[in-house]
Amino acid sequence: MKNKNEKLGMRDVFFEKLYTIFQNDPNACFITADNGAPTLDKFATDFKDRYFTVGIAEQQMIGMAAGLALEGKKVYCYAIMPFITQRVFEQIRVDVCGHNLPVTMLGIGAGLAYDIMGITHHTLEDVSIMRTLPNLTIWSPSDSTAVDSIVKDSHDLQTPQYIRFDRMGVPEIYADNNFSIEGDLTEIVKGKDVAIVTTGIMANNALKTAEQLKRKGLDVGVIDVVKIKPLNTAKLLSILNNYKAVVTLEEGVLAGGLGSLVLETMSDSNNYKPTKRFGIDDSFVFENGGREHIWDLYEINEKNLSKKIHEWHTDTIC
Amino acid sequence: MTNKSLKEKARQLRNTVVDMAVKAKTGHVTSAFSQMELLVALYLKPYMRFDPQNLEWEDRDRLILSKGQGAIGLFPVLAEAGFFPKEKLDNFCGVDSLLGVHCEWHTPGVETISGSLGHGLPIATGMCQAARLNNKNHLVICIVGDAELYEGSNWEALLFANSKKYNNLVIVVDRNRQGAIGATDEDCGCNKDGPHLEELDKKFEAFGLDVESINGHSFEELGGVFENIRETMSNREGPLVIISNTSKGKGSDVFEDKHLWHYRVPQGEELTKVRQDISQVLND
Repeated sequence: MKNKNEKLGMRDVFFEKLYTIFQNDPNACFITADNGAPTLDKFATDFKDRYFTVGIAEQQMIGMAAGLALEGKKVYCYAIMPFITQRVFEQIRVDVCGHNLPVTMLGIGAGLAYDIMGITHHTLEDVSIMRTLPNLTIWSPSDSTAVDSIVKDSHDLQTPQYIRFDRMGVPEIYADNNFSIEGDLTEIVKGKDVAIVTTGIMANNALKTAEQLKRKGLDVGVIDVVKIKPLNTAKLLSILNNYKAVVTLEEGVLAGGLGSLVLETMSDSNNYKPTKRFGIDDSFVFENGGREHIWDLYEINEKNLSKKIHEWHTDTIC
Repeated sequence: MTNKSLKEKARQLRNTVVDMAVKAKTGHVTSAFSQMELLVALYLKPYMRFDPQNLEWEDRDRLILSKGQGAIGLFPVLAEAGFFPKEKLDNFCGVDSLLGVHCEWHTPGVETISGSLGHGLPIATGMCQAARLNNKNHLVICIVGDAELYEGSNWEALLFANSKKYNNLVIVVDRNRQGAIGATDEDCGCNKDGPHLEELDKKFEAFGLDVESINGHSFEELGGVFENIRETMSNREGPLVIISNTSKGKGSDVFEDKHLWHYRVPQGEELTKVRQDISQVLND
């Protein structure tokens, strides 16, 4: 029995809820490329005929998923994030998205979650590349509350999806702060001067940054984007309309990522705001020392962000 | 259909392929010619189970042309089998056409997109598994090019297919020994040939699969494996690999087994000679 206070990780919250869905949906299938989770073990035993281990063979996993889905199955694929995005990008593009099939890619280890594992296990480019794919929905929950909010919607969708999970130990933004989640994107803190638009674990860094900047007299809001694609542009623009400037923050490459998406959204609707992007700028992360150390080196923690945003605001907006 | 009439049909459809390619100035004619007898046998004998009036029929056999480059050879066969009017072939690659250089799902009778190699077999395993889950006994026939087997994804799928013992999976290798610009089992000295595939049968066997080798241009030999394929497969414990030995560009000396014809469309005197060669087949 789990201790009541012990919180499940994001993927485990997902799998717990998915288990019930599997009990009620005989068409649901699961494929793993030699990845597991304690909450997944009962899938392997209770849904023996619908749970498949292909080995470390991600191309087979995605292709097989497409074959099952072409025959009417609802398929979930699971692997560490770089291997279920970059390595099989073409299978996802052609086999899954090309046929517009109900296959959901579940990636574990968003951004720098596998910090000390090296660049093979970092996933800094996924938002940039995956959002180029037609038909694909991209979910990027920031904590387990956000995960909990998407499981059913995700299962009801009969189209391709990609869900980004962080590892264990991610702060509980919504539950711990009594924030209410509002579907695809939420203004978790309201402000007037600067809006920080962010996603995933960076929502927590954005919150802390906003707090620090408020102490410096800057009224900073935080917008957590849970559904990156399709982006709720009307809602985002309506929120941003209340601010003077925009900052984007992501634990990923700047090229094509969330910041690019926000800029595109504003530009395409002629809603221009002074905007500054923060993330990993055209660089691999070869440094060890842990995630927080890397955030410090690449200046995406609250210490650096509050300083840089304040300077930028002073130089550019004031 | 008798073997003689199948042979005549293959001859006519080779001409159709040439017509389509010449008009559209594109299409992989030689890829289509190497698999022509196979597709004619499957769809026009027919050894496959399908209903052109009911594309979603659950019990139809699924055919995946993983070597999607052969689409220009598949389309005339599908039209002949009744999947769409033959006039549609005249607009190959044209405005509003559902027929392009490679296979796409919007063509009636085409199950999957193909053209990027190494995708068909993994998809086929999913279809086989779905048939098993749904208690269906239709076949999943996946045609792969031999040069396609350089793609590692095929071998991921073969490992899995063997472990799951899919006895509804028939893999046909179009063994024409040619890729796009290089050969699979030659050394021309020009640094264009790929790694050797031989001994290909032993490679499949090492993966636990049974292999039958046939002359892929012989309706007699195609009939030998496909005549009772349903019964054969139901008595099997796993997938069957058929190595269909063929010639790329079979049917005309202009391009048969000749390099650099993967991307070319015959024209001028070459075209005249191709037409003559194709008509010659009838007189063999």
